[in-house]
Amino acid sequence: MTEALAASPVAVTAAPDRARRFAWNGTLVVGLVMSGVVLLVAVVAPFVLTERATALSPDAGLGSVPGHLLGTDTLGRDMLARTLVATRLTVVMALAATVIAGVAGVAIGVGVWLAPRRVRELGLRAIEFAVSYPTLLVAIMIAAILGQSATTVVVAIGLANVAGFARLTANLAAGLSQRDFVATARLVGVPPLRLATRHILPNMAEPMLILLTQTLAGALVEISGLSFVGLGSQNPSFDLGTLLQDALGKLGTNPVLVVGPACALVFTSLAALFVGDGLAAAANPRSIGTRARLRRAAGADTGTAAAAPADPRRLLTVEHVTVTHTRTGRELVRDVSFHLDRGEILGIVGESGSGKSLTASVVSRLLPEGLTATAARLELAGTDLLGTVSPAELATRIGLVYQDPGTSLNPALTLGAQLTDVLTVHRGLSRRVARERVAAGFRSVVLPDPQGHLRQLPHELSGGMKQRAMIASAMSTEPDLLVADEPTTALDVTVQREVLSIIRRMNAEAGTAVLVISHDIGVVRRLCDRVLVMKDGQVVEEVTSPGQLTVDAVSHPYTRRLLAATPSVVVPVAPDAEEAAR
Amino acid sequence: MTTTLTASDPTAGTGAPATTGGHRAGSRATLWRRFLVRRLLGVVVNVGLLVLLTFFIVQLIPGDPATAIAGENATLAQVEQVRQQLGLDQPLTTQLGGYVSGVLHGDFGTSFRYGLPATTIVLTALPYTLSIAAAAVTIVLVVGSSVGVVVGIATRGDRNRWLDRVFNAVTGVMQAVPSYLQATLLVLVFAVWLTVLPPAYTLAYGPVESAILPVVALSIGGTSSVARIVRREAAVAQELDYMRTARGWRLPPVRTYAKHLLPNLLTTTLTLSGIILTSMLGSALIVETVFAWPGLGSTVIQAIAVDKDYPVIQAAVFVIGTVSILITLVIDVVLGLVDPRTLGGRND
Repeated sequence: MTEALAASPVAVTAAPDRARRFAWNGTLVVGLVMSGVVLLVAVVAPFVLTERATALSPDAGLGSVPGHLLGTDTLGRDMLARTLVATRLTVVMALAATVIAGVAGVAIGVGVWLAPRRVRELGLRAIEFAVSYPTLLVAIMIAAILGQSATTVVVAIGLANVAGFARLTANLAAGLSQRDFVATARLVGVPPLRLATRHILPNMAEPMLILLTQTLAGALVEISGLSFVGLGSQNPSFDLGTLLQDALGKLGTNPVLVVGPACALVFTSLAALFVGDGLAAAANPRSIGTRARLRRAAGADTGTAAAAPADPRRLLTVEHVTVTHTRTGRELVRDVSFHLDRGEILGIVGESGSGKSLTASVVSRLLPEGLTATAARLELAGTDLLGTVSPAELATRIGLVYQDPGTSLNPALTLGAQLTDVLTVHRGLSRRVARERVAAGFRSVVLPDPQGHLRQLPHELSGGMKQRAMIASAMSTEPDLLVADEPTTALDVTVQREVLSIIRRMNAEAGTAVLVISHDIGVVRRLCDRVLVMKDGQVVEEVTSPGQLTVDAVSHPYTRRLLAATPSVVVPVAPDAEEAAR
Repeated sequence: MTTTLTASDPTAGTGAPATTGGHRAGSRATLWRRFLVRRLLGVVVNVGLLVLLTFFIVQLIPGDPATAIAGENATLAQVEQVRQQLGLDQPLTTQLGGYVSGVLHGDFGTSFRYGLPATTIVLTALPYTLSIAAAAVTIVLVVGSSVGVVVGIATRGDRNRWLDRVFNAVTGVMQAVPSYLQATLLVLVFAVWLTVLPPAYTLAYGPVESAILPVVALSIGGTSSVARIVRREAAVAQELDYMRTARGWRLPPVRTYAKHLLPNLLTTTLTLSGIILTSMLGSALIVETVFAWPGLGSTVIQAIAVDKDYPVIQAAVFVIGTVSILITLVIDVVLGLVDPRTLGGRND
């Protein structure tokens, strides 16, 4: 996975940092244009149209007629003009409420975060309490106190949203204060208030801006809603909510009246929503993935594979594997070929981004999304992995162990529930038998109390125990090949040794061939019969015996550098206890 | 407690023997006890705060509350009557004491408008609000999360781009149209043009027919939000390591998604449903007025905007607030049952 991340186009584009962080997108542009229209109407319309919007005329209660496109109300006032004029009050009220919410919320959030521990905890609880209240209930309480007016709804909606800003500020501050640069600033004695204004607040700008636009969108709707039920602006002033209320009363007789305020309200709220969504997307660009594809290399002859004399000892044949990033066409793995014999342990070693994990993912046919792989040959003991292979065969013949047992196990399912699936589905075992089989596997990887562990959720086990359970599960189908991608990287050093010795024992006892991916030359030296060294997507060297993994014996300069960079060179190369056990 | 525990054990649903692992049950029971004590204390504190807040609704009215409540045209005698009725002539502490003991006995005073106990008026309206809110929330969760999951799975990677676009456009617009406007438009279409459903609550139609439009108006926005969030969660979860592990087992798609993906979406969906339910209570207050639905919303808005009926306002705000506090509690308990990891609490 590390390789896949490093290979994402973001990492390779040479665009300047700022341009990369802010990705303009269609939603944002459309939202900004719509907001511009709304603002223009809000500024201009009252100057030009107030006369038309408020002048009484004898043309009362008209439907859509020339001159009064959206009809006239009971006092003969033109509804189109009224809608456009009302936009200003609506927008001004929503903006005012958002400013109140933002300023007060950030102040409270920063205050709570700067406060002493006890006050902070109390403050956080108070904020949680306030957030869990329905906004409109808070607004109604305030309307009950202040009476009905435009000011009331502004204050009401403003205050109702304070808690949201306070919580975001407090959460972000809490998150940021854990970060190194804040810790450093604190260490060198920057006073708290300066810490907040110089180091904390500027780093909140992005999420804050998103919340501001979202609050604005909400405020537009909520304020108009309160005006709609009669708590907001009072005659003779009018906003979109009051216009909608008037229209509701005439719905049966003059339904066209609803068109103006309805469209204006939806347009305005869409504008704010688009800007919010666009900002969120710009801050957090979602890379549009493409499906993973595995193809036979053009020109590769399927016939030769079948015709070639089959070496009974040969388990896995991989020829000319190339992996490219589908969208950019960048080659991540270039023309990699290797083979694996039965009972052999092959190591692929290399730095992050060298393509070793991707190579393994091609073999196990689990290529990450967005990548395309081609190969001339990909065979597992006579089975063409480039063709159609039954899921059962793939699942039972290739066992998989991943880097981080903490994330590779499903947090919501017990070990028993998830690790037995492959046996019940592909081996047709009953659930009880499958559990017994996995429990036996647990015993062989020295997990005490196998039945108890089957009933546990992953978070109830330590990392080493999870990885051992993972190995037991991978071995439960008696696979021909075990693919272990960085099996020890996420584990403590002491646990690493246990896991390595378990893999080694599995290999010795069951005769399972193992493909080990690692960046740790010490691991491959201890474990493998043969080692491939990869760099920049290519195999640069093959070392046929782990004993030759010394600075003097290897030929490629990169391997030498890799070895020189590994402190474990001092560890004696002589076979240790585990090797003796083989 | 013990019975809840056995039922809560996630292994119970996965075919494991019903007996729980002995060495864990103890720690889980302790977790639950701490969780419940903490949460129940929280409820008591929150309801206490609510009592204070509703008390201050009257106290905080700018100027002289009695004059403001009695109205501009009230005589001096009427103002004094209001003052006495609300006990505003007594010292603040006496008023607070009287108010709190009243609340403890379920007494919020007598409605100015109806001459009935405010509690009675509010409790008569409550079932109306709860029924449409509950119906709407059910629709929101069932429809919203299933659409979200299906779209999330169907649009993984670059699959079905058209679906992605249609989904975003439809849910985006649905979210942008406020529920009271949807209510108005629904009335226009179904009551004014098609005349198949009543435009407002009326005894001439059955209670179900009267409830259809309010429930639909309440559900549309929430359904869109839930669908969008669940879809995003599903998209993220599909790319996580444990889903790769599940894919490595090459299970049939239905099993991969139903068994391995769905349980991980449950926590988010439930957390969301709490937020949606409480915010829906809020929207219900406004949507109700469109349909003259005799629930808490119509009651409290009538009480504020027309009657200045403060005992009813206080009782209604207290009841709505209490209901939302209880909803949050119930959701947290359900979350704990589904995902014991949440028992540790959010701030600890």
